[in-house]
Amino acid sequence: MNAVVDKAVTAVIEGVENIDFKMVAFSLAGKDYSIDIMKVREISKATRFTYVPNSLPYVRGVYNLRGDIISIIDLRTMFNLPSVKSEKNESDEIIILRLDNYLLGVIVDSIDKVVGISSSSIQPPHPIFGDINIKFIQGVVEKDNKLYIILDVESIFGLDAENVEVIPSQYTPKAVYAENKPEEINMGFISETLRTFSKFTVTDLNNRWVEHRFEEWKTLKGNNSEDLQLHSERDSEEFLSRFYSVDTGRFWSEDYRNIVSSLLENNSSGTLRVWNPGCGKGYETYSLAVLLSEKFKEASIKIWANDKDLMSISNAPNLALDKQNLPEYMDKHIVSVNSKSQFNQKIKDIVLFEYHDITHPNTFPAVDIIVARDVLSFLAYSEQLRMITEFQDKLVPDGLLIIGQNEELPGNDWKKIKSNSITAYRKIV
Amino acid sequence: MRVEYINPFVEAAFDILKEVLGDDIQRGELYLKSTSQAVQGVAAFVGLAGNVEGRVLFDMSMETALAVASEMNGETLTELDDLGKATITELANMITAQAVTKLHDLGFTFDLTPPAIFTGENMEITDNEVEALIVPVIVKQGKIEINVAVRERT
Repeated sequence: MNAVVDKAVTAVIEGVENIDFKMVAFSLAGKDYSIDIMKVREISKATRFTYVPNSLPYVRGVYNLRGDIISIIDLRTMFNLPSVKSEKNESDEIIILRLDNYLLGVIVDSIDKVVGISSSSIQPPHPIFGDINIKFIQGVVEKDNKLYIILDVESIFGLDAENVEVIPSQYTPKAVYAENKPEEINMGFISETLRTFSKFTVTDLNNRWVEHRFEEWKTLKGNNSEDLQLHSERDSEEFLSRFYSVDTGRFWSEDYRNIVSSLLENNSSGTLRVWNPGCGKGYETYSLAVLLSEKFKEASIKIWANDKDLMSISNAPNLALDKQNLPEYMDKHIVSVNSKSQFNQKIKDIVLFEYHDITHPNTFPAVDIIVARDVLSFLAYSEQLRMITEFQDKLVPDGLLIIGQNEELPGNDWKKIKSNSITAYRKIV
Repeated sequence: MRVEYINPFVEAAFDILKEVLGDDIQRGELYLKSTSQAVQGVAAFVGLAGNVEGRVLFDMSMETALAVASEMNGETLTELDDLGKATITELANMITAQAVTKLHDLGFTFDLTPPAIFTGENMEITDNEVEALIVPVIVKQGKIEINVAVRERT
């Protein structure tokens, strides 16, 4: 009885509800979305779009809609949702949008129906919305027990280049340079060639430096686009020559040592564990070992140093030293074995050099310090993300992370400590 | 894998294989692997214990195993019978034992477990959380892959 009354009451309420807003509902990755029907010209099914080289990753291609050539955009790719492999001949569901003065097709998972609602029932989006940037959501509305997220297509597909840049989530490989300005095309090429020649991946981690360096590069090479591009490994290394941190690949100077030292807090626990991925030939690792053993005389110190370059790391455990080039502060840690200078056993025992690829499982326990200067930038994008998470997992609360001085961690998960020539973070407790 | 461990294994593999199979022997590029990998057909397995934990795996195809066993026994084997299996097992034991001896001289104490041999088609080996160093060795009988996965005890 009650149920019947409820239904009747709902019907009455719905009856008086003023339906003044209609929207096309569709689903994407299991969620319901909708677009204002006034922006939709038609819906369509199509397949086999003409691929356009060098276009943005989410542009699937162009399509001939009865004589009009329109661009087709894949919403899943655009919103960084995992893409689904479609069957070969299955056609995609497309909503053709009419924006200011052009048409645009967007591929969605499936188109549902047209839903009518009262515009007063639209609620503003909640900041914690997950997959899609809140800027692109016009509002949220409930209808027939379904929650629809209304997309603001004007701001998503608006011509404003600024918006295009922010659509991908906070951390994306820079494939975003494809606007029509010639210099930005060059920037895109630069990041491509850096990847090819030096395995250097331009992402938020180093983008600021790359852009700055590109400005410098332009003054250096003139504005002829041919000269600006990197044609070989040598060009690419020249471009990156300013990237490397102070004292990279050699013993730390006394100055740099003191800067690092100033970041270290008094350690009371009696043990100090350090991870040094990408240790190369081991010079920096030994610098760190000497510094730590002097600063924390009582502590038991362990440094795990890894590199995946066997040639570099194979001599590290018994590094032969050239006394001429040693910083003075190291003298007291050097012994002579068979008339060759080496570090004494105490320093050697601190460091464990391993031939190890850090993208494989890292099995050692939690560490107090991670020194990974100029390492992350040379990993592929997905590996960078994974390593940053791994650093988070491996560090103890308040642990110290030192990365390359021209690198920066995106996001707010870390407390940044910036001093002159060092980029360091603390893990937020 | 600790850098100091690499050379003893590579050297031992070379010395022994040269001794039993002759001079015609080449080394492939060393590399690291962490995912599971296919085993070619015959796999001899020696476990390591002591300061470390891990194992060494000698992986080859059935044809290579037969040719190697034939060469070592001075007679032609047509199937991998008990004698053939014992021969391959012994080869694994010799190489690992020599590597461990070399390591002992460097101050690392390892113990060996008795070798075991696996044969079959479509086998795969998965080590959870240990990456393996692969030492490919090409002898005239075929390719032998020596797969060393060792880690420090923590």
